[in-house]
Amino acid sequence: MKLELGKIKINDIQFAEKTYVKDHVLYVNKEEVEALVLEDDKLLGCSLDIARPGDKTRITPVKDVIEPRVKVKGGEIFPGMIGKVTPPAGEGRTHALDGCCVVTVGRIVGFQEGVIDMSGPAADYCPFSKTVNLCVVIEPKEGLETHVYEKAGRMAGLKVAAYLGEAGRDIEPDTLETFETKPIFEQAQMYPDLPKVGYVHMLQSQGLLHDTYYYGVDAKQFVPTFMYPTEIMDGAIVSGNCVAPCDKVTTYHHFHNPVIEDCYKHHGKDINFMGVILTNENVFLADKERHSDMVAKLAEWMGLDGVLITEEGYGNPDTDLMMNCRKVEQKGVKVVLITDEFPGKDGKSQSLADTCDEATALASCGQGNATLHFPAMDKVIGTMDYIESQIGGWAGCVNEDGSFEAELQIIIASTIANGFNCLAAKGY
Amino acid sequence: MVKGIEKYGVPVVHMATVVPISLTIGANRIIPGVGIPYPLGDPTQGEVDSKKIRKRMVRRALKALQTEVDGQTVFEKDNF
Repeated sequence: MKLELGKIKINDIQFAEKTYVKDHVLYVNKEEVEALVLEDDKLLGCSLDIARPGDKTRITPVKDVIEPRVKVKGGEIFPGMIGKVTPPAGEGRTHALDGCCVVTVGRIVGFQEGVIDMSGPAADYCPFSKTVNLCVVIEPKEGLETHVYEKAGRMAGLKVAAYLGEAGRDIEPDTLETFETKPIFEQAQMYPDLPKVGYVHMLQSQGLLHDTYYYGVDAKQFVPTFMYPTEIMDGAIVSGNCVAPCDKVTTYHHFHNPVIEDCYKHHGKDINFMGVILTNENVFLADKERHSDMVAKLAEWMGLDGVLITEEGYGNPDTDLMMNCRKVEQKGVKVVLITDEFPGKDGKSQSLADTCDEATALASCGQGNATLHFPAMDKVIGTMDYIESQIGGWAGCVNEDGSFEAELQIIIASTIANGFNCLAAKGY
Repeated sequence: MVKGIEKYGVPVVHMATVVPISLTIGANRIIPGVGIPYPLGDPTQGEVDSKKIRKRMVRRALKALQTEVDGQTVFEKDNF
């Protein structure tokens, strides 16, 4: 499967009479976007705002972050969600508006929605403090059930990202890269002397607003399967979850999975990147056992020499992580784990809920319990009403001037457990 | 909490879904829960049958509490 990915650099977003891209600026027709969002009768209101790097602006509660993209050749964007499921993602040509994002904001769905500060100390921890963001602030109908509200917010974000992406259809991209993974036997023969490496990608699927979608399928309903990496780079996986903000894998991060990006950089040089084993993190022990068995079986069947494993969320998914590690190692395949840590505010607790003897190599993405001071901002997009009950905050953490103290885990993607950010652990 | 209470000589039965975590934290008497969202019962089976499941698990837990164990033990069945 082969994907051409063209990136169109976007340096600014401005509201205008119509939606188009010119000279690296994305011009947006506000009315059209608001009308698109309000097609959904579950939403009463929609307002747009622009947040730029360096602004004294806070965005919260953030639901998802999405990069605007368009399929120029091949299937449709976000297959199974808003695009047709066939042909599948991962082939043809896609244009991305690089450097800008759609951020969905609004009254909290659950309690696990986060903060993006466009400047100040918290900006260092968040990738979306460095992008120009079109914030889509939604207002749900009164009395909506939470899962219905979550879906309305999720679909609004995807629709706006696809609408903006269309503006890049006929623009010549600044960079054009090609990514390709071949069918298993051909791929193995291509670099016979290099170690065959796979990626075990664990999707959040605990339910109760902790869900991810694979071609529109709720991730808790599938059994582990094989994916070409380009499918993931091309919108086959969409976030629908309200997991702790710090390690939420947003839809943006599925496009930009750093494990896939780095494995492709090494592909044909020092590794043979064979593909992705997709699995989930369900809430029943039998699912965890069955699916880790299947992951190990696929790793063995693909003839892998080594795998990298990432998880999403923390707590009981640590058990899925360790089961995958143990069972894959027992098949004679080397494992490196990538995850973040939660050792408590004092740093003294066990930082993962589970462990196993086979877990001998782990790259840490930092810890989410460290606290930080968030200074008052000139402008808040969304509302500060829920900070104390958002994960990472606590009763009384907000000061009168609008500043607050909170754990790093309140910041979107601050310790994301796939290595997208720069935090790490240091050994002494 | 399990270890903290047992330190004072009071036996504890840990009823939770993810048995590997119960084993990792050092619980001695473990009963697997039904699922993380509903450890003691199963709403998909209806209220009557869910209560039967709950009653059976609590009885098993009370029996486990009175059972001598030699190291960490997972009580998966009622007949022990």
